[in-house]
Amino acid sequence: MLDCAMAVALPAVVEELLSEMAAAVQESARIPDEHLLSLKFVFGSSAVQALDLVDRQSITLISSPSGRRVYQVLGSSGKTYTCLASCHYCSCPAFAFSVLRKSDSLLCKHLLAIYLSQVTRTCQQLNVSDKQLTDILLTEKKQEA
Amino acid sequence: MAETLRRVLSRGSAAWSGEAVTVEAGSPLLLLGVPASGKTALLFAAALEAAGEGRGPVLFLTRRPLQSLPRGVGAALDPRRLQKVRFQYPPSTRELLRLLCSAHEAPGPAPSLLLLDGLEEYLADEPGPQEAVYLAALLLDTAAHFSRRLGPGRDCGLMVALQTQEEADSGDALQLALLQRYFPAQCWLQPDAPVPREHGVRACLEPGGLGPRTEWWVTFQPNGEMMTTPWPTRAGDFSSAEGSSSRAHP
Repeated sequence: MLDCAMAVALPAVVEELLSEMAAAVQESARIPDEHLLSLKFVFGSSAVQALDLVDRQSITLISSPSGRRVYQVLGSSGKTYTCLASCHYCSCPAFAFSVLRKSDSLLCKHLLAIYLSQVTRTCQQLNVSDKQLTDILLTEKKQEA
Repeated sequence: MAETLRRVLSRGSAAWSGEAVTVEAGSPLLLLGVPASGKTALLFAAALEAAGEGRGPVLFLTRRPLQSLPRGVGAALDPRRLQKVRFQYPPSTRELLRLLCSAHEAPGPAPSLLLLDGLEEYLADEPGPQEAVYLAALLLDTAAHFSRRLGPGRDCGLMVALQTQEEADSGDALQLALLQRYFPAQCWLQPDAPVPREHGVRACLEPGGLGPRTEWWVTFQPNGEMMTTPWPTRAGDFSSAEGSSSRAHP
């Protein structure tokens, strides 16, 4: 269910919580309250914002015929962020600042929203050509520069 | 990825007796060392080692063609192995990013090992921490895509060499700490001299996770021979290492 390579960067406790949530969702089609509380405990306000992104179906998994994939998340400000599906990377400023530079949070809300959308299977799917996928990955670079 | 390097480093030592060859690629590995500590030689040896495992081709990325054969690869230089190593020379960070972003468009079988030499040269073009992280993340993403193309049970390994400075400033330390998040396995090459007349490096391999840390003493002889011995060395180990070392031009 979860992209296994992605879990490399996640602490075991978070990984465990996500797989428990996945099992619960499969059983009862909803995330149990105690899991929501744990989520809030671990991720603070990001948890609520991420759940909001999931509710609004803001997460899109973009695939090309080659099998390569990338996620895009439409942020609350209307800006789209690109997240690499295979590892732990988001193009948003919070990821650069809180996650990478200060190390005071584990995930930005966009990455958390991706994990949650995998758990709840509410990810939008979009197929593009191989060339278009290259452009999406390269555009991501230009945004940053 | 540590397993391939472990095999390269253990080839010349008594401690290694043909352990079961694992096909697991393992964690992405960062090969760290000061200038001229043998990073390219080890990376090249890892390429030839992987090319001999009966797996897919090896993709070796570096800014410019190697000027000479790296030290210590002579005996391992089987032309059939060398043929399986595909060299590409992205001349700038922009070209490297283009290559990685479009890796899924390349025809042919997916590589089973992705190597990058001289990461510091590419990082020098893009000094910001987020640029460094995006490059690291893209390398992982490209290797993950190759793994998916290789099919179940087969992974594409990733090994990247980064030159470190003897006196690192705080910016370098931050950049290294960020890169280490993406490369859980590391191999440090430290020039050291336990025996004053020998010139060599201490190779310290940390495979990431709970794997054991292993150390070797690597020496490059004047004639280009690479010799490795487990560290710390017992008195009798040097003789057993000599028999299986390889010969190459310096």
